[in-house]
Amino acid sequence: MSSTSQKHKDFVAEPMGEKTVMALAGIGEVLGKRLEEKGFDKAYVVLGQFLVLKKDEELFRDWLKDTCGANVKQQGDCYGCLKEWCDAFL
Amino acid sequence: MPFEEDPAYLSKSRLKSDLVAHNVALPPAASKKEIYVELHLKHIDQRNAADFSSDEEDLVPDVADREEDPDHTEIPDPRTLTDDELKAALLHHGVKAGPIVGTTRAVYEKKLKKLLQPDESGKVNGAEKAVVYSDSEEEEEEEVEEEEQKADGEEEVEESVCTESEKQTAEQTDLAKQESSQAKLPYQNGSFPYLQCFMPSSRLHARPTSNRESKSKWNSRNAVKSSERSRSRCKEIPVGISRASSVDQHSGLGSGPPQEPMKDIIKEIFPETGTTPTGIHATRRRPIKGAAQRPVQYGYPATPVSPATLERREMERRRVPIRIQILVFLIMACILYFIYVNLEDICVVLLDSLNQGFDSEDGYSLQAETEDTQVVSGQD
Repeated sequence: MSSTSQKHKDFVAEPMGEKTVMALAGIGEVLGKRLEEKGFDKAYVVLGQFLVLKKDEELFRDWLKDTCGANVKQQGDCYGCLKEWCDAFL
Repeated sequence: MPFEEDPAYLSKSRLKSDLVAHNVALPPAASKKEIYVELHLKHIDQRNAADFSSDEEDLVPDVADREEDPDHTEIPDPRTLTDDELKAALLHHGVKAGPIVGTTRAVYEKKLKKLLQPDESGKVNGAEKAVVYSDSEEEEEEEVEEEEQKADGEEEVEESVCTESEKQTAEQTDLAKQESSQAKLPYQNGSFPYLQCFMPSSRLHARPTSNRESKSKWNSRNAVKSSERSRSRCKEIPVGISRASSVDQHSGLGSGPPQEPMKDIIKEIFPETGTTPTGIHATRRRPIKGAAQRPVQYGYPATPVSPATLERREMERRRVPIRIQILVFLIMACILYFIYVNLEDICVVLLDSLNQGFDSEDGYSLQAETEDTQVVSGQD
């Protein structure tokens, strides 16, 4: 089992509702601000992007890197978080 | 020109237009015809001589070259393509693209660029990732993620690269994985041995979901290796437990972060257990009744009984049985009936006995009473 942070567990435990982007695993204050500037102000908007990219890991990671400059670990955390959320609720 | 024209026979204006048509620099305006002729001869006639025989043939390859060049030199910038063309180009390279929307377009353009540079980027990426792997061995936290990325990276490499580079990267990652797995053993073997068996098996489950497209030899190799590793780890567990305390002290710091999630899980499942130095919890089994030197001293209930039935049994014990209640009732009924029927006789008997008792003192009152009763009974 890969290690999942508390943030990941909290996010995956319930429907995301109106949670902000900072609630996503791997997305902290800095990255969250950058995403908000680009227009991705809520977690569900990032979810939308994730789904439009057909939940493809590589594409989503690239997009995340280009949009907010996330490093490899942050990309992985965010992808894993959204993927698990989709498996549970979508 | 169907036939060679001697430039000398052409007019000056004609020579001028010809020179312009062939992109030859015109001489000064007031120059003589001879200069135009010379230039004409120099440039145009040479060209005509060379191209004359193969005019039409040259046209076709030229056009074809011009069309092919962009593909080789990546000139049709993915940005110039329309959404549909971009999607078609990606499909041509074997990538099924999703909707190309404002936000996804950039990603797909990048992807197409990557695909248009297959050989160079494939080898370069392989070398880079090999370097990354060797650096990351020391860092324990990123090991798991790096290994996952390795496999994902190799999927990409597999898709677009020839077999030689595949083998190289496969060998490199094999070595890296073995080294990293050996490095992991001393950290984790001592304190949480039973969880070792779960770790690789869960990664085995994760593998099939990410390898949706390329189910090739690499995946089967990977699965076999990880299953072998899990078996070897599970066998080492009993040995590891004996060395638990000493290993724990040395590896206490290093094993901190990866062990925390495992500790949390144990505490969730068994919230009441206290912490022990070795981290092993064992609960005492209930002793077998009547087994070796354990005679039946305690009154174990023979059959499991619910509290409700126990209460009911108590109640029934204290209650007077119904039959006895009925019997008593009948007896009382008989007595009352008996009294009712024989009321006169009973009264007489009672009064006679009373009379004998009070003969001397209250003879009159008694007699008066007996008279009254006799009158009463007579009226009845």
